Amino acid sequence: MVEPVSPLGAAWKPGAYPNTAGETGLVLSETRPGSIVQAAAWPGREKTLIDAIKSVTGLALADGAGAGQVDGAKAAFGFAPGKFLAIDQKEGLAAALGAVIDVDTGTVTDLSHGRTALRLAGPKADWVLAKFFALDFSQTTFPLGAGRATSHHDIFAQIQRSGAEQFDLYVFRSFARAFWTALCHASEETGYTVG
Amino acid sequence: MLITCPYCGPRDLAEFSYQGDANRPRPDQHDTDQARWNAYVYDRSNPAGPHREYWQHAGGCRKHLLIVRSTLTHAIESVAFAGAQGATPRPARRSPKSRTKTGPAKGKKP
Amino acid sequence: MSPRRSTEGGRIDRGRTIRFSFDGKSYHGHPGDTLASALMANGMRLFGRSFKYHRPRGLLAAGVDEPNALVTVLKGTVREPNIAATQIEIHEGLTVESQNRFPSLDVDAGAVNQLAGGLLSAGFYYKTFMGPVVGPLRGTRFWMACEHFIRRAAGLGRAGRDADPDRYERMNAFCDVLVTGAGPAGLMAAKVAAEAGKRVILADLEPVPGGSAKWSGDTIDGLPAAAWAQRTIEALGAMDTVRLLPRTTVWGYYDGNTLAALERVTDHKPAPDKGEPRHRHWTIRAGAVVLATGAFERPLVFPGNDRPGVMLADAAVRLLREYGVVAGSRVALFANNDDAYRAAAALAEAGATIATIVDMRDTVSSAARALAERAGAEILAGHAVSGTKGGKALREIAVQRLREGEITGQPRRIAVDCLLMSGGWSPAIHLASQAGTAPRWDEALQAFLPPAPTQNWIGAGAFAGHFATAAALADGLAAGAKVAGGKPPRKSALPRVETLELDIAPAPVFAIRPSGKAGKAFVDFQHDVTAEDVRQAHREGFVSVEHLKRYTTLGMATDQGKTSNVPGLAIMAEARGITVPEVGTTRFRPPFTPVSLGALAAERYGELRPDRLTPMHDWHVESGATMYAAGLWYRPMVYGGRGETVEQAYVREAAATRAGVGIVDVSTLGKIMVQGPDAADFLDRVYTNKFSTLPVMKARYGLMLREDGLAYDDGTTWRLSQTDFLMTTTTANAGKVMQQLEYYLDIVWPDLKVALTSVSDEWAGAAIAGPHSRDVLAACVAGTAVDNDTLPFMGIVRGEIDGVPVMICRLSFSGERAYEVYCGAGHGLHVWEALMEAGKPFAIVPYGLEALGTLRIEKGHVTGAEIDGRTTGRDLYLDWMLSKKKPFAGSMMMDREGLCDDDRIRLVGIVALDDRPLGGGAHIVEHNDPAEIRDSIGHVTAGCYSPALGKYIALALVKGGKTRHGTRAFVSDPLRKRFGPVEIVSHHFYDPEGSRMHG
Repeated sequence: MVEPVSPLGAAWKPGAYPNTAGETGLVLSETRPGSIVQAAAWPGREKTLIDAIKSVTGLALADGAGAGQVDGAKAAFGFAPGKFLAIDQKEGLAAALGAVIDVDTGTVTDLSHGRTALRLAGPKADWVLAKFFALDFSQTTFPLGAGRATSHHDIFAQIQRSGAEQFDLYVFRSFARAFWTALCHASEETGYTVG
Repeated sequence: MLITCPYCGPRDLAEFSYQGDANRPRPDQHDTDQARWNAYVYDRSNPAGPHREYWQHAGGCRKHLLIVRSTLTHAIESVAFAGAQGATPRPARRSPKSRTKTGPAKGKKP
Repeated sequence: MSPRRSTEGGRIDRGRTIRFSFDGKSYHGHPGDTLASALMANGMRLFGRSFKYHRPRGLLAAGVDEPNALVTVLKGTVREPNIAATQIEIHEGLTVESQNRFPSLDVDAGAVNQLAGGLLSAGFYYKTFMGPVVGPLRGTRFWMACEHFIRRAAGLGRAGRDADPDRYERMNAFCDVLVTGAGPAGLMAAKVAAEAGKRVILADLEPVPGGSAKWSGDTIDGLPAAAWAQRTIEALGAMDTVRLLPRTTVWGYYDGNTLAALERVTDHKPAPDKGEPRHRHWTIRAGAVVLATGAFERPLVFPGNDRPGVMLADAAVRLLREYGVVAGSRVALFANNDDAYRAAAALAEAGATIATIVDMRDTVSSAARALAERAGAEILAGHAVSGTKGGKALREIAVQRLREGEITGQPRRIAVDCLLMSGGWSPAIHLASQAGTAPRWDEALQAFLPPAPTQNWIGAGAFAGHFATAAALADGLAAGAKVAGGKPPRKSALPRVETLELDIAPAPVFAIRPSGKAGKAFVDFQHDVTAEDVRQAHREGFVSVEHLKRYTTLGMATDQGKTSNVPGLAIMAEARGITVPEVGTTRFRPPFTPVSLGALAAERYGELRPDRLTPMHDWHVESGATMYAAGLWYRPMVYGGRGETVEQAYVREAAATRAGVGIVDVSTLGKIMVQGPDAADFLDRVYTNKFSTLPVMKARYGLMLREDGLAYDDGTTWRLSQTDFLMTTTTANAGKVMQQLEYYLDIVWPDLKVALTSVSDEWAGAAIAGPHSRDVLAACVAGTAVDNDTLPFMGIVRGEIDGVPVMICRLSFSGERAYEVYCGAGHGLHVWEALMEAGKPFAIVPYGLEALGTLRIEKGHVTGAEIDGRTTGRDLYLDWMLSKKKPFAGSMMMDREGLCDDDRIRLVGIVALDDRPLGGGAHIVEHNDPAEIRDSIGHVTAGCYSPALGKYIALALVKGGKTRHGTRAFVSDPLRKRFGPVEIVSHHFYDPEGSRMHG
């Protein structure tokens, strides 16, 4: 298979960019999963869809707004009524979900190329994210695994907390470079590492 | 200003886009009464006080919401999903997953 | 004598020295100093020139309410004007200049305005700029010439012309409790709420929190109040759930308990750290708010009350206790309340001589008398200061007997270098006023108290009219407990306070009426509004509070009337013979203090919009494309770089495409997956033509109308399976169409099982067009044939190009045989390069937007230039797409009389007969008179040079449309100075039978 090209281009500059105090408060990276898939259930069929996601990914999602789970290479979360985003480092998730979600349950849409996965990890991840998004990133209101759909001006983003100090962002590919550049800019204050 | 999306919880106004007056039922697709279509497209009541209106949570779950908002005070009386599943307005309240619940703040200082 | 630095006291660090520059001269101060305190310590009393009259002005206040001492801070060539000297922390290298003076602060030519005082009184602008209505200058433009000079002479600081290089940021915050103001009340509330486990943000506009505790001289829990404040702050700072925001002004209170705050992050530093913003704009969503914003002392209004050396009593106390600056050596106090006597005692303690205490009241309490005794000062009860003397510094005051507001008797002259005044206190209710309704007048305090809350806030301390430290702490305790939602606090939780018990209620007199001709008595110092201006407004009928404000500009300066509000209203009340609450007050609006525009723009500065890039963006740039911003997208305009003009480049690209093969990036097209059992039915409802009849793996061109029947958007929709459709929209309308479709599904037809997903970014798209396009595909596509049988017009096949799965649809925007090749966006560049490689033997050329436009104009295809929100499907001769077999969105409205009129402007082609370009927006006229700009019969929507026809052609919307084919008219484009003959023809300029694209 031909390796997909990152949308970040020359804006991806691995290395450490400490702040004046010599600290790096977070690590910015592009996780490049093989699969990013949206699954949507018809009203009343949410449970069936959640079961289907579990049968394919092993991730058991609670039936509640924004509920999600992360498990190593796989992750899934709800971001809208009956709508879920499922991510796998491997390719082929869209086909696998498509095989178990029939047209009476809902739909599966492959977004593996259309969304770019960016990760912010470290003690300052929530501080930097708060510069962009009007969301409460505290752990009590945004627990591990939970997902949110939000936006920064024109840039739509789906965000999942994938660790105590780690967030994964899914942004539209065409905006990825502009957003990445802005992320790096906003991280200069706390210092950051790319890689 | 915050709008409490029934799915996403209280979110900033900037995530929402106004989608117009909700007091104008769209005639059935097969309706051939010109006057009804004309009323649907052009007539607006413009009340001073509570007003039923549609908002889309465009920068979030993208669902359309039926909101009753006072045009005098901006106070939001109720928020519900628009369409069949939320036809009856529900009172606006802090969402069950309120973003302002008690809990430790992280990263206190920059 | 001048002000001086005391040998001890204050929070300044006398062990270290900081050098700064004011008006080109170097001065010294200490860490902890403000510019105001440091200059005062250097013996300075003249800080600026006033707004209209250029009167010398000194420091009036010590905090954010300072109206006089406005300066400009210089950083390189960047100027930031109108900053209060009391709000600037000095730092090494700070460079400041004074304002509104020429040539210098000491010698100011504008001071002649003082002589013209009568001319510049209330309503001056309204009267002057109407122009003289009588006299020799009537009807002339003389006033316009005057305006230039008047505006230059009157005013504040001058903004710079250079771009602001500083960085600004926005920040979002959420908390259970926002406490604004870190004085005793705010600190107490924050402490109680934080100890109850609440997430607390404590914001204070000063660099050092503590509020009045820093200078009250009270004792709290056995500690000096300032030490208690510091201890409390440290304890709060150690808690994980508390965020302290010093140097942060909460300036706006908005709906939903959303508050705006400005943090001055680096203004106090010589240089910011890496990545540090100068200002940070906080948007704080708070569960509850504690407003503990304190109060402002009010000046008294008497002639000469603006002379440098006259200041608010509390300002002198702050200068002394915070910065160790003694404001004068021979000091008088002029007050209408007991509380101000503290200032006399404090200054006496610091070594100043208190020459006299002038009290408007006839009787003075024993507590106040005791303080006067401590200060060694005589009290002149029932007296008022009726005048001041001194040029740029106060030398002498005149004191007279006051009887029922009138000055009587012979003036007694007293030599002083400093006069402290106090007209009582006004709670800083600005935020509450923004968030609520009209404030309440309190007769005892002679002040407006906060309105009843309409949002979730609680007031505490001086903000609520509870000025004493003990009362403020009690308020804070109660407020903290209430927002924490717990039990009411125990009395024992309240710190013990040792203080002087003084009645703060003032006499209801703020202004004295001078007898005979006296000097100006200022109400609004920053806008130079005098008591006489207010009375004049009354005489001229501008008596309502709104009119008073606008006619005199009272309270409209950068300080928004913090010190002038109540005195101004009191004078109007007296003039009208009514009470202050009957006069009313204006509501305060955001911002509480000026906010830098940079902070509001924040990350949107410079880069106003994010760039949207296609997967092939870098290739285009490297290949010499001139990129063009189309909405947020960047698209190649032409691939120049050969020394060609834009026209030469697009003509070459278009001609090469028609002759051989060209390739264009169409990744920007809006793409929406329409999926579900009801998808076909849904498309039938929103498109004017039918899609349920479309076979799988076929595409169809579709047109959408708005609900009012006008054309909305067009594009092709591909049926990928029985229940999956890939809809394409125009680049510009992608978002709007998506929203409209979602609206239909959520609101109009919620029973339809259809899911919509934006997949614009999922697919990279390349269109290859030209007679050799099929040859190029044949050379690189694996897994499928691409011949006419396998891939007929509007057919779709799946295959592979160089190992990448692709979907190919045969459709044509150019009129040539053409294909759109779609693949995963991450493979877009790979497939593009493979197509370029396969196209080499056929001399494939990449083409940009200009050539794309040229090809479609030649073919007569419409885009947003023609579907402009005013045209119908019929206007564009798309009648054939308007199904008569089914209703669709807009079908009932499109047949309205006005939309069917034959004389509407409709689509035509035009050809320039003078061989010159036709520009979009140019009008079409029937008369041959370049000077006559009227009688338009339509306009050009898009024009180009057509290499296929060898002529300048254009699409146009012209009255009557087709009926004019073959007629002559003229293009009239006065803005571009273009007039010339054209022929109106069919918009199908090129290959009208479509044999090229179907072949």
